[in-house]
Amino acid sequence: MNIKIDLFENDRVIEVFVHGEIDAYTAPELRDILFPLSKKDEVQMVVDLTNVNYMDSTGLGVFVGIFKNIRAQSGELRLMGLSDRLKRLFEITGLADIMDINSPIEGEVE
Amino acid sequence: MDIQSCVNIQTEWDIVAARQLGRNVAKELGFGVVDQARITTAISELARNIFIYAHKGRVCIEKMNDKGHAGLRIIAIDSGPGINDIRLAMEDGYSTSGGLGAGLPGVKRLMDEFQIVSSPGKGTEITAIKWIR
Amino acid sequence: MPFREAMEAKYRDILAKYIEEQKESTLYLAQKFSRKSIENQVTPEEIISLHKMILQEMYPEMPTYVTHSFDLLLEIMLGYGFAYREHQSLRHQQKELRSEIEIAANVQHTLLDTEIPVVEGLDIGAISVPARLMNGDYYNFVQDENQCISIAIADVIGKGIPAALCMSMIKYAMDSLPEHRNEPSILLENLNHIVEQNVDPSMFVTMFHGIYNYEQHLFSYASAGHEPGFFYDGKKKEFTEITARGLMLGIDKKTKYTQYEKKIEPGDMIILLSDGVTECRTSEGFVEKDTLLTYIDKYLHLSAQEIVNRIYKDLEQIQNFQLRDDFTLIILKRSV
Repeated sequence: MNIKIDLFENDRVIEVFVHGEIDAYTAPELRDILFPLSKKDEVQMVVDLTNVNYMDSTGLGVFVGIFKNIRAQSGELRLMGLSDRLKRLFEITGLADIMDINSPIEGEVE
Repeated sequence: MDIQSCVNIQTEWDIVAARQLGRNVAKELGFGVVDQARITTAISELARNIFIYAHKGRVCIEKMNDKGHAGLRIIAIDSGPGINDIRLAMEDGYSTSGGLGAGLPGVKRLMDEFQIVSSPGKGTEITAIKWIR
Repeated sequence: MPFREAMEAKYRDILAKYIEEQKESTLYLAQKFSRKSIENQVTPEEIISLHKMILQEMYPEMPTYVTHSFDLLLEIMLGYGFAYREHQSLRHQQKELRSEIEIAANVQHTLLDTEIPVVEGLDIGAISVPARLMNGDYYNFVQDENQCISIAIADVIGKGIPAALCMSMIKYAMDSLPEHRNEPSILLENLNHIVEQNVDPSMFVTMFHGIYNYEQHLFSYASAGHEPGFFYDGKKKEFTEITARGLMLGIDKKTKYTQYEKKIEPGDMIILLSDGVTECRTSEGFVEKDTLLTYIDKYLHLSAQEIVNRIYKDLEQIQNFQLRDDFTLIILKRSV
């Protein structure tokens, strides 16, 4: 059970690459890193979850928290690279309807 | 009855001086080897706390005699930031200086008596006594 | 101190024996000695000091470098003794905390207790098991005078005490909204307001609410982001997922919920669950939806309560008796 988080910050654009599992043990680390960033003004955060093979509801809680923070500061949050299992988690909880999930990148051929 | 000697704590070397002083006095008073080591460790912890958190202070060692019962008193005084929540600082596992077992509750367990007075912004005074068994 | 003296004598004995002949039986005595001294809170540094003292007695002309080396070892082991004592004290505190939590869990149990209604033509079974001491899952049945049974199943995101505290609040919120109990979508809208206003922003709740009319055998329901359950068609012998879209409670004040309806025929079943059921993990991976349905299929002939109990036992077993999340399963079975 391990997590690795890589961050690339460029002014308001924040790219986050997560590797590993997001569960009750690793979610606090993710929260500690992303929460302060999500409270900045008008950030554009992209979180790449391609290399996340497992996420439980604790992880979901972290993303909802970040989403709320970013929305309050008129920023944008995009999650990408979600596996079918992860996507299902966002769909069941209704979050897929309000959050930007796995949307094709501009200019990309679908 | 009390003879007091003090060491000012400013550098890490002063911690060694405080240890040496404590061990000498403990030996003189006739403490066993294990208790000598305990007293020294307690002094070391208190001096280290001063060095790390308060940066400046002093550790004093006193010989005590209570109706023929000999003992050693450590007094650690600093004028550092003080401790906000003493109850929390006295909780096991709280110490942030790293390492299991470090910190004030450990010192308390090594000694027979332990007293702490601290006010935020003013400093901390810790007194601890060990009696000869 | 007679214990210390006895200990000294015993150690002297063991040491002399071992120096004379290095036998396994003596090492076994040493192991028993250490267990006894741990029980009596003898610290590592005391053992070193004892060892050194006895060695000096046995070999008065022991080289001084050996003596010095023991002094160094004693100093080092004192650090371990320091840590050991903290460990002892923390263990004691842990015991206290545990018993406190046990009491809290009992209180919670009483608070959230619900009785499974007994009505003609409908067989209901329910089970809810927390992963830790306190449960972040919740289910509730209320039977009213209009031949309706209200069924709620909810899951707080997170486990343990925070989730349990939150769940107690949800229960009281529900109790205070009796007039809405007949309209799942309105009930969820009202609860959403309450959760949004009162619960920590990092906490979320998923809930499925349904009303079963046991006269018309009509099931109306709505879901707030809850793990979908299943309908079982008794005639076709088929399971279908209950699709009911809706956002989790506590995220957006303005959320509206869609209400759905379904006629339940004799032999049909409604299966409701928490994500602890589908998030079960084994060494080989997740318990897939199909596995769960195979289990249900296997026990179809049993009573609803018997089915949920057996499924819990099976899932517990394939997870090596370690639940990762709270587990709740409800089955409503219309009699043939």
